[in-house]
Amino acid sequence: MDPRDGRGLDRREFVKSAVAIGGASALSACLDRLPGDGRDVPEGGDPSTLPARQHAWNEFLPTDEHGNDVMARHHVLAYLDYAGDGTPTDAERETVETALRSLERAYEYSNEGLLFTVGYSPSYFERFDEPLPESVDLPAPEPMSSFEDPTFDEQDVLVHFASDHADVVLEAEQALLGERDAANDRELDADLAGVLERADRRTGFVGKGLPAENSDVDGIPDDADVDEDAPLYMGFKSGFKKNQATEDRVTIQSGPFQDATTQHVSKIRLRLDDWYGEQDQEDRVAEMFCPAHADNDVVEGVGENLGDGTKVNECPAHLDETAQEYGRVGHNQKTAQARDENDSPRILRRDFDSTDGGEAGLHFLAVQRTITDFKETREAMNGTDATENPAIRQRVNNGILEYTFVRRRGNFLLPPRKHRALPTPRPE
Amino acid sequence: MDRRTFLRTAGAAATASALGSTAGCTGLLETRSARSPPVLEDRPNAVYFPTHIEGMEMGEMGKSGDYAAMTMYSYPHRFWNVNGTSVEKTPIQEGDDAHVMVSVFDPETRQVLPDAGVSIAIESDGETVSQETIYPMLSQPMGFHYGANFDLGDVDAATLTVNVSVGGLEGSGVTMTGDYAGRFSEGATIPVELPYSEATKENITYEQTPDRAGELAARGPMQMDMDMPMGVAPAPGDLPGRVLGDPANDDPKSGDAVFATTVVDADRFDGRYLAVSPRTPYNGYVIPRMGIQATVDRDGDTVFDDALDRVLDPELGYHYGASVDVQPDDDVTLSVTTPAQVARHEGYETAFLEFDDVELTA
Repeated sequence: MDPRDGRGLDRREFVKSAVAIGGASALSACLDRLPGDGRDVPEGGDPSTLPARQHAWNEFLPTDEHGNDVMARHHVLAYLDYAGDGTPTDAERETVETALRSLERAYEYSNEGLLFTVGYSPSYFERFDEPLPESVDLPAPEPMSSFEDPTFDEQDVLVHFASDHADVVLEAEQALLGERDAANDRELDADLAGVLERADRRTGFVGKGLPAENSDVDGIPDDADVDEDAPLYMGFKSGFKKNQATEDRVTIQSGPFQDATTQHVSKIRLRLDDWYGEQDQEDRVAEMFCPAHADNDVVEGVGENLGDGTKVNECPAHLDETAQEYGRVGHNQKTAQARDENDSPRILRRDFDSTDGGEAGLHFLAVQRTITDFKETREAMNGTDATENPAIRQRVNNGILEYTFVRRRGNFLLPPRKHRALPTPRPE
Repeated sequence: MDRRTFLRTAGAAATASALGSTAGCTGLLETRSARSPPVLEDRPNAVYFPTHIEGMEMGEMGKSGDYAAMTMYSYPHRFWNVNGTSVEKTPIQEGDDAHVMVSVFDPETRQVLPDAGVSIAIESDGETVSQETIYPMLSQPMGFHYGANFDLGDVDAATLTVNVSVGGLEGSGVTMTGDYAGRFSEGATIPVELPYSEATKENITYEQTPDRAGELAARGPMQMDMDMPMGVAPAPGDLPGRVLGDPANDDPKSGDAVFATTVVDADRFDGRYLAVSPRTPYNGYVIPRMGIQATVDRDGDTVFDDALDRVLDPELGYHYGASVDVQPDDDVTLSVTTPAQVARHEGYETAFLEFDDVELTA
């Protein structure tokens, strides 16, 4: 069957597009399509047993044969604004917490059920007299290169829903926002209606097969051969254990927001005509990883053979050397320069692709202890020093910058679970 | 042959050769590109007169931050990309509707900025039609510009908005001097209007030049109603300081580029400064993004041996330079370590690639 002919879509494909569509009709159409007796999504347990850290997802995710955490396949980002004037009341706080606990009871806290986080922007905290403590590094978003001009996401709240089931993210989103009563056949004890209102909605997916099935969008050339095994549009696996910060590494260690983390979300437009049209697999390996990897046939296919790391230490450490020898430098090779003194990456990627707006995109969501950790990792990706070599241009022969266009950026704080409901800057 | 005649002939040829489903305008265009004169078999390793000359349509000018930008379009072009030492032809591809070009310059001095990272997002009626990183290019009639071939989808006639994104020049490895110090470090997005129509495009001049093709010569800059900066380097006579050699008479020349070189004394360079301003022969366009190593020898001793910086200066223009106390009779040797990383329209693709050392006496 040709997935592009619009007829005879199989269930999996239909469900994926339903997440992008959103709303009650997408959900009900989606549930109608489930086979047999409908779905069987595990219920949650006692919310008080869940970890202090909202971002502690890894223990609830499966791992692949190499020990890499495998991210849930479907995602919704619900951007919300505080509906009230002034600062939130204790009653509102209780409503929000009750609603969130209801979701935790409704679904098992895992990729099989639902994972979610609630984050708060610098704009949210501005309504309070007191500033955030110094232990929290959460500046307002800003451009992260001289060649991007993003719109800033300054909504108050961002809820990130993730599940292997498209219908679960759709249902949880609608139930939490008060657009339906029940989640997983369980009535919610409260919802956010009247306290937080929807400002924007973004969606996406990550995982083997999903990009290939969703490749009929602007930005992916018609004749592109997106690998069936690829979890992301650009054709390679990512999120290797050795290329990710640990959850400990990204957790704020002290102060009232101990056990919190910061979240950066950028919305990136992908323009892969030249990535797939002008380049072959060897070129793509050179630009995604490093030219030496292409030379030495280090990466097979989507990179399953890499195991639990991109072997970036086998790329020449000095970009200069690579630039001199190959006339280009690789993306992974550059970002590895931002590792900390223990050779650990500083950000934990939880990004996913998107067809929002009918165009290929990437919601680059990452958590890190400080926004500075993200900023310095991104600066490394800019490869500015490498441009001293004339062959390495600002956006050409410089990793994947040629194909990625940053549209939006936003910063959020993911408070510890106990302070996740409309926190003040100094929760007790 | 004028464009209309050519199109008719091409259409007839398409029918005769039964190309099948291609029809209408698109079919004609594909046929035309298929029938673009073949690239000459025996090209000199130098600038040569191309097989055909295409005109262009001008758009508007816009300004933002430190930058001004002007847009133009023409038929899709074949061009050659240079990456390191490799030169690769980018043919006209199926779906290419137009070659969209942007000139980026300083609105105050109208000096072209030839070493920036540029991308454009093309919008029609508020919808994004395309977005691409575009390449710096040299063209004989169109000068230095940033450009690429674009698929404009269903757009037939519209006033397009071209959002020109220019990255800060420091992020491209360029140093600014004089009144340019402190400028061009931030990027900007410049919205520019470009009235586009298929019909207008079909009437853009298209001239085959079989009689001159391959000659050691260049088509001169196109005459335009609007004063578009073309990226012409300062004339040798206008260069400040003590000019070495005789660049006004193409001496010295290497890789077919003229290496205008001057020794300048100026406060902005903290004293004496060696500046090299390579330019194309005939048209004198600036040649950006080369790697140039300079050696200065005095009485048998090497007093300087280093890579020159890529510099943008209000008076010298874009050039390659370093602070060196060059004395009369010093031997100055220039070695090109990286050929010009700039894409080329036909007639430039075999030049500025391989260079003998340039020897000058100060």
